[in-house]
Amino acid sequence: MTRLFGTNGIRGVINQDLTGELALGIGSAWGSYLKTTAQRPRVLIGTDARLSNAMLRSAVTAGLLATGCDVVDVGLVPTPTLQYAVKQRHYDSGVIITASHNPPQFNGIKGVALDGTEFSKDTEEEIEARYFSQHYARAYWTNVGTYTSWDGAIDLYIKGILSAVDIALIKKQRFHVVLDCGNGAGSLVAPLLLKKLGCIVTPLFCTPDGTFPGRNSEPTPENLATLMKTVPEQKAMLGFAQDGDADRAIFVDENGTYVSGDQSLSLIGKYITRGINGSVVVTPVTTSTCLEDVIKANNGRVIYTKVGSPVVARVMIAQHAIFGGEENGGLIFPRLQYCRDSAMTCAKLLEILAREQRPLSELVAEIPHYEMHKMKMSCPNEKKEQVMNTLAEEMKDSKDVVRIDRTDGVKLFLTNGWVLMRPSGTEPIFRVYIETKNKQDTEQLAEAYKGIVERIIEHA
Amino acid sequence: MNEQISRQIFRAYDIRGLYNKDISPEVFYKIGCAAGTYVRQILNGTQIVVGSDIRQSSQPLTHALMAGITATGVQVKHTGTTSFGQTLYAGGIQHADLIAFVTASHLPPEWNGVKFYYGDGVGFPEAELIRIRDLVLGDKFSLADWQTIGSIQPIDAHDAYKAFFLSKITLKKKHTVTLDCGGGSMALSAPEIFTDLKFTMNPVFCEPDPTFSKRPSDPKPKNLTTLVNSVRKHGSEFGVAFDGDGDRAVIVDDTGAILSADQTGILLAKYGLAKNKGTVIVNVECSKAVKEQLEPLGFRIKQIPVGHTFLTLEAKQEHAVLGIESSGHLILPEYFLFDDALVVPLKIAQILDTMKQPLSELAAGIPMYPTKKEEIDCPDEIKFDVVESLKRRLSSEYEQVNTMDGVRVDLPEGWVLIRASNTSPIIRLTAEAKDETSLKRLLTQFMRPTTETVEHVKETTTR
Repeated sequence: MTRLFGTNGIRGVINQDLTGELALGIGSAWGSYLKTTAQRPRVLIGTDARLSNAMLRSAVTAGLLATGCDVVDVGLVPTPTLQYAVKQRHYDSGVIITASHNPPQFNGIKGVALDGTEFSKDTEEEIEARYFSQHYARAYWTNVGTYTSWDGAIDLYIKGILSAVDIALIKKQRFHVVLDCGNGAGSLVAPLLLKKLGCIVTPLFCTPDGTFPGRNSEPTPENLATLMKTVPEQKAMLGFAQDGDADRAIFVDENGTYVSGDQSLSLIGKYITRGINGSVVVTPVTTSTCLEDVIKANNGRVIYTKVGSPVVARVMIAQHAIFGGEENGGLIFPRLQYCRDSAMTCAKLLEILAREQRPLSELVAEIPHYEMHKMKMSCPNEKKEQVMNTLAEEMKDSKDVVRIDRTDGVKLFLTNGWVLMRPSGTEPIFRVYIETKNKQDTEQLAEAYKGIVERIIEHA
Repeated sequence: MNEQISRQIFRAYDIRGLYNKDISPEVFYKIGCAAGTYVRQILNGTQIVVGSDIRQSSQPLTHALMAGITATGVQVKHTGTTSFGQTLYAGGIQHADLIAFVTASHLPPEWNGVKFYYGDGVGFPEAELIRIRDLVLGDKFSLADWQTIGSIQPIDAHDAYKAFFLSKITLKKKHTVTLDCGGGSMALSAPEIFTDLKFTMNPVFCEPDPTFSKRPSDPKPKNLTTLVNSVRKHGSEFGVAFDGDGDRAVIVDDTGAILSADQTGILLAKYGLAKNKGTVIVNVECSKAVKEQLEPLGFRIKQIPVGHTFLTLEAKQEHAVLGIESSGHLILPEYFLFDDALVVPLKIAQILDTMKQPLSELAAGIPMYPTKKEEIDCPDEIKFDVVESLKRRLSSEYEQVNTMDGVRVDLPEGWVLIRASNTSPIIRLTAEAKDETSLKRLLTQFMRPTTETVEHVKETTTR
C-alpha cells in the first residue's frame, strides 16, 4: 500500500504534513523514476489556485531538474488542461499541484502519465520506494534539466473540447448558464469556453483565489446554495459548478435543483450510448444502479472497477470504453482524453440539451431513481481484511444474497438492491453503501447491516 | 543539527560549494528557509528578490531556494537568469529587503553558490552570513501557515536595467570596443547595451556558455589572450573582460595591455571623477599608487579591510565616489553601490569621449610598482593566531603599522601585508615596492618573522 499517495495523489496540510522538503524529495524521486523511462524526460508542471502553489511547484521543479528532467511550467490551469497538454504535446509526465476539493489549508501533488491519465498505483509505489530509500538519480552538473514556461496549454485544451462537440448546434441555443468556478482553477477555462459556445454567462466566484472566499471547493449541495438560488433567479437554463482543480462537474437544473453526480453520469451516459449497440461504460463499484439501467436499455454494458479515477481510466483504455466516470461528477470522455474533465462534461451536456430541446429537469426525471445511504463504521486497519472475509463467508449462503463481488471491498447483490463495504485507504474505517429502489428498504437494510458488521468487527 | 551540511560552504562573503557534493537543492532549500526566517525575524521584512547566473546547476538550486523562502512566508520576486547587475538593479527598484543571486562568480562551472545583498546594494556582512549559517545548521526555521505562505512573482530585470544605462550614458563619439563576456552571464546584458549605445562592438565569447568551454570564467591575464588579440586586430579603443556573473571587469587598453584594478581605478578617478573629488575607498591590498596619484588631485583616500562587503558599506557611509578592491571589484556609486562590472567599461568610454589621447597614453601616466604575493602554509586552526602574534611583534618593531585587516607595515620603499586566507590553510604575504630590488628585500625581511611565528605558534599549541 502506498504511504504518501492517496486515491488522488499526495495530500496534506501545508507545512505540516506537506512541506517543501517533502515536495523536493518527491520531485527527486519522480525524476529518478522518469529517468528509467526516457533518456531526457520532459515534464509539464501546473498548479491550481491555492496560496501554497508556488512553494510546492518550485520544490518539485528543483527535484526534477536535479535528476536531469526538463521542466515546462504551464502556470495556473485546471487539472484536465494539463493532462490534455501532456498527451497532445508528448510529454513524458505531468505534475499538477492541487488538493482538488479539499479545504484551503491543504495542498497536494498529483502525477500524470505520458498518455494523460493519472499515475497508476504501480508508478506511485515506485516513486514512493525511491523517496523512502532516497536513491535519487542525481544528474551530473552538466546534465541537470532546464526550466521554461509555456502559456499555450489553455488554448490547446479549449480547441480540443470545441472539436469534440457540435459547436454550431450549441451556439444556436444561446444558453444562459450560471457558472460557479468556486474560485478554483476552472476560472481560467470555463468562462472562455462557454463564451466560445455562444452562452450567456452569469459568473459566480470566477476569479482564482486560494482562500476560496466564495464557497468551499467541494461541490456539495450545501456549498452550492448560491448557485441553486441564482439559476432560477436569473431564469437560466443551467447551473454549472466545478471543484478546485476543475476535474469534476456538478449541475443545477433550470429550477435550481441539484443534480447528483450519479444522475449526470447516467444522463450523459444514456445519450452517448444511444443508438450504438454493445458500448462499454466503466465506473467504480460505488456508482448507483441507475447508470447500468440506462446503459443496458441502450444495449450497452457496464464494467465495474475499484474506486479511483486512474483505475477507471485504465480499464476504459483496455476495454475500449465509449464513456466512464464516477458518482462524484468526475466524467471521462475518451473522445477527448482519458481523465475526469469538467469543462468537457459541460460542453457535452450543453450539446445534449441542444439536441433534445428539453430542459435538464425533464431529462433527469427520466433517469431511474434509487435511494442510496452512506455510512462510516470504525474498524482497526489490521482487522479490515478479516472482517471482509467473514462477511463474505457468512453471506454466501444467505437466501437474500444473489451474488458477491470482491472487486473493491465486499459488494453483496441482494434481491432488492445492494450493500457495499469498502475499507478506507487512509482512515481506520469502513465506508458502507446501501442502495435499493425505495427509502424504506434502504433504511431497513442499513439498520440490519450495521448490526451484522458491528458484530463481525467485535468478534474479529 | 544538520550534520550532513558542510560548514565550509559558508564563506566570508558568500556561500559556495561543489554542486552535488557540498551543495544541492536540499541544502539550498534550507538556505532559502534560513534567508526567509532571517528576513522576517531580523529585518522585519517581507520580500526577497531572487536571480541566478547562467550556470547549469543554477536552475535547480534557484527553485529550491525559492521554495525555502516562500515556505517561511516571504514573497519572492524572481528575475530569472540574468547578469549580476540586472538582478541587483531590479532588487533596488523593488525595494527588496534582501537580494539573493545564485552564482559561484568566477569559479569553474561545477561550482555554484549564492550571495546576498541588501536592497540598496550593500553587500551582506560576514556576521550576518554567520547568522544564516547558524539557522541552516541548527534547522531553526519559522515556517508559515497556509494563509501567509509566500508567492513567487516573475519580474523583469532586463528592460528597466537597459533603460537605466541608455538614459544615464551619452556619448558624442562612436567608440570601438572589444567585449569579452567569457560565455558568462554578462552575455545577457552587455552586448545589447553596448549595441544600443552605438558602440562599434567586437564580441568575444558573448554567447552564454554554461560549461565555460571557451574561456575559464576567471578573467585572469592568462585567460585573456583572445580578447587581447581581438583588441589589436580590430584596433579597438579598449577591451573589457567580465567574470562569470558580472561583478568584475578587466580593462585592456588600445595596445592590448591588461590594466590592473588599481590602474583602472586611478584612471576612473583621475579622468572621470576629478570634478567631484570626494572619497575613494581602497582596501589594504591596493597599490600605493592610488594614494600618490589621487591625493594631490584632492581625493580623500580611505583604507578598509579586504572584501566587497566592506567596500559597499563604506562607500555608502562615506558617500564615496569610487571604491577599489585589488581583486577587481570596482564600484562607482554615481550608478550603483553594488559591484556591477558593466559600469567600468561604460565609464572608461565616457572618459575617452572627452579625451584626445588613447587609453594607453592615459595609462602610461600612472606608475605601476612591482608587487608580489607569497603563500606560507599554515593550518586553519592557528592561522589567525599567527597573524595576531605577528601584529604584536611587528607593531613593536615598526612605526607605520595598520592592523585593520591582517597586519600591514608601510616603509618608505614600499609596504607589506600579512593576512590569513579566509578560505585556505594559508597565510598570504603581499608586498609592493618602488623597484624590484626593494621588493625582494622587503619580502625576505618579512618572510623570516612570519615563518618563525608559524613555527612558534605550532609548537605552543601542540604542547
